[in-house]
Amino acid sequence: MAVDTQDDIVQDFLVESREILEELGEQLVQLERAPQDQDLLNAVFRGFHTIKGGAGFLGFDPLVEICHRTEDLFNLLRNGEREVTSELMDYVLRALDVVNNQFSDLGNGEDPREAPEELLRALELLQEQESVGDAPAAAPAAQAAPAPESAADGQTVAGGDDITEDEFEALLDALDEDKQEPAAPAADNGGTPAAGDDITEEEFEAVLDQLHGEGQHGGVPTGVEPDAPAPAAGGDGLISEEEFESVLDQLHGAGKGPTAAGAGAAAPAAASDSGTARRPASSEKPAAAPAARSGGNDGGSGGGSGGGDSGAGGAAGGGKASGETSVRVDTAKLDDIMNLVGELVLVRNRLSTIRSQYEDERMGQAVADLELVTSDLQSAVMKTRMQPIKKVFGRFPRLVRDLARNLGKEVDLQMEGEDTDLDKNLVEALADPLIHLVRNSVDHGIEEPADRKAAGKASKGVLRLSAAQEGDHILLTIADDGKGMDPDALRQKVVEKGLMDKESASRLDEKDCFNLIFTPGFSTKAEISDVSGRGVGMDVVKTKISQLNGTVDIDSAQGKGTTLRIKVPLTLAILPTLMVRMRGRKFALPMSVVSEIFELEMGKTKVVDNRRVVMVRQKAMPLFFLERWIDAIGSLETEDPDAGRDEQQVVTVNVGNQVVGFVVDDVIGLEEVVIKPLGSMLQGLPGLAGSTITGDGSISLIIDIPSLVKTFGSRM
Amino acid sequence: MAQQAASNEQEQEQFQGPVTQWVTFSLADETYGIDVMRVQEVLPMSEIAPVPGAPRFVLGIINLRGNVVTVIDTRMRFGLESRDADKASRIVVIETGDQVAGILVDSVAEVMNVREDEVDTAPNVGNEESSKYIYGVVSRGEELLILVDVNKLLSREEWEEISSL
Repeated sequence: MAVDTQDDIVQDFLVESREILEELGEQLVQLERAPQDQDLLNAVFRGFHTIKGGAGFLGFDPLVEICHRTEDLFNLLRNGEREVTSELMDYVLRALDVVNNQFSDLGNGEDPREAPEELLRALELLQEQESVGDAPAAAPAAQAAPAPESAADGQTVAGGDDITEDEFEALLDALDEDKQEPAAPAADNGGTPAAGDDITEEEFEAVLDQLHGEGQHGGVPTGVEPDAPAPAAGGDGLISEEEFESVLDQLHGAGKGPTAAGAGAAAPAAASDSGTARRPASSEKPAAAPAARSGGNDGGSGGGSGGGDSGAGGAAGGGKASGETSVRVDTAKLDDIMNLVGELVLVRNRLSTIRSQYEDERMGQAVADLELVTSDLQSAVMKTRMQPIKKVFGRFPRLVRDLARNLGKEVDLQMEGEDTDLDKNLVEALADPLIHLVRNSVDHGIEEPADRKAAGKASKGVLRLSAAQEGDHILLTIADDGKGMDPDALRQKVVEKGLMDKESASRLDEKDCFNLIFTPGFSTKAEISDVSGRGVGMDVVKTKISQLNGTVDIDSAQGKGTTLRIKVPLTLAILPTLMVRMRGRKFALPMSVVSEIFELEMGKTKVVDNRRVVMVRQKAMPLFFLERWIDAIGSLETEDPDAGRDEQQVVTVNVGNQVVGFVVDDVIGLEEVVIKPLGSMLQGLPGLAGSTITGDGSISLIIDIPSLVKTFGSRM
Repeated sequence: MAQQAASNEQEQEQFQGPVTQWVTFSLADETYGIDVMRVQEVLPMSEIAPVPGAPRFVLGIINLRGNVVTVIDTRMRFGLESRDADKASRIVVIETGDQVAGILVDSVAEVMNVREDEVDTAPNVGNEESSKYIYGVVSRGEELLILVDVNKLLSREEWEEISSL
């Protein structure tokens, strides 16, 4: 059976499930830290249950299989029949990986691959172990032992490796005797009505509801009957059948549902949506809290899981019931709108230019209004593209956990400002560099527990990730309290690697030394590990971030830790630039790298090693003449080659760790431009980042300074 | 030209073969045709902003209502002598699957109907440079219409090959 990814129902299922999966990854790691957290256990249970429901409806059997087993396991966990352990979590996380893989299969229009048999077995065994928990205590202990071993051995960071056959055999053997225990099947359907293999009618309904997108977000109040459900939940947590009935009546009478303000309280009542009203929502009451907190996504999952668990489903359903407040929009459409707004801005600019030529008050007013509206529109459209950085941060708990386990380190990951919004494209583009930096911090930065103790630090290292908006920039900080970097070791290393001679290395100050790690071909770890240490990482990180018009700054104190600060603009769509004139044409230099502008006095320049330099604050700064670049390769007609020759300006820019001066004819000023990519024929031209249309309708090219210097530097 | 068009229609009635329409333009006194479905619009010559570092065949970029469109020097692409644009010069904006580009031509004439069976896959018209992009030729009495394969004209592989020479 091929999967029709174009099908709306499949599409909705995929989109929603991916959201749930993303959350699951986060929740699972949190769970390991707070194994008793009932809310989390319920949330995870619901997550798997929802996916199972949807998958069952659409006939994705392998997906159902693994979700079902995991869900069963979590049912035991949340009922307190089993304890959360790292070993168990390893399996659950692997199961999540498998589910993720199955989803990527589905996304590619293929049937989901079968889950590895041994993993399914293992998940089942984990349940059975608990079922026999009443049997002699030795038995479960004996079983528990082989499991963690095989888990630890078999797993890589990504958790993708299979347990070897032998290990698995051993595990099976260990468990075999106990399998005869009659209590074993208890783990199955019997104990937990929600975990049935077949999809019940209620579940089916819920899935349908969910798929048809009955309001996935509960954040916004709809203002219908806020007080009706309140008494129901306000009681002792037990809702009698009568109460439920009356609430049902009220709800149906009132139309759509309770407000979000009452979401927590209204939750059990909303379970009526999924038709499970008959079951009292006794112990699940706390579930109302997470549902109300996490809003949209839980609303979706609540719809699916409502059938299985009245309390939890109801809680989430509370969010769901408050009506449709959001729509999914293809990002391509947003891009189109963004483009059109860009056009509008240009037209507005043209009109403003024309306005100044006419002394008409009414027209002036109209244009002024247009200006206002356009600016508002621009920022409104911009906001639609914003996403919280959580999208990226969300992966880190899992990543850090796996890494730490793999490397035998203890790491406490602290995150701040996850709700900071930035452009969707940026969120995506930042993912890889950030992952790399986090890996580095865990691998290179934070020491082994023993070393930490020896150094008088807590054995658990702290890795802090934070995001905050600063004006029109976002500041991301990755700070660890590890061993920090040794400037001398770095100096020595760079000489050993032949990247710099000894004398230049010794002249570097501390900061320069730290920046060495961004040099291509520089890796400080002697051994190449699975995690990092191929020596390609940091310079790629730096390049990537420069491509986003961002900067990376590094600071380190030996023995105390390292801090990396990344600054990126809020959006990629609009770029603040410095407009300069060269040979009668306008060029745009990204403001992010420009630091100062001064007038060039040829008399004060010197020639060093064939390169003209100018002294700025007792430091020699190399000069690059943009006109030579244009002359050497471009066919620009020179309007007046000697115009302004005497009054050229120097724009100081940061290229990598270096400060260089670009000589231009004239500096026009700051202009925010909309980047227009060059056609595919011109893509990847060295020195060019794109083009833009200026207020007067003409085109100017945006210069990519690092690549320009790299490619043409020697000829300028 | 009008006569020719009229005679086209007559012929068409006689043979009833599949007919395609071609926008004709001239370059160095030869007439070329581009599939009308590929032509987005025809623009008068406007200011073309040169791009440093671009292949020699790229004249530069123009602002087409807010979109940046690359303009190709068709003469150079076809290995013809280059010449300054004049009043008759036009930029024909063409689109292929994934890209839009403009080609600068000496002038644009008309839309011509061509029957499939009229097209000869005649090689060796013009020179070697231009024959790469030719889909076929149609001879109409004295005149020869050269049909251009737009995909090849704009394909990047070709570009790389040529710009590396």
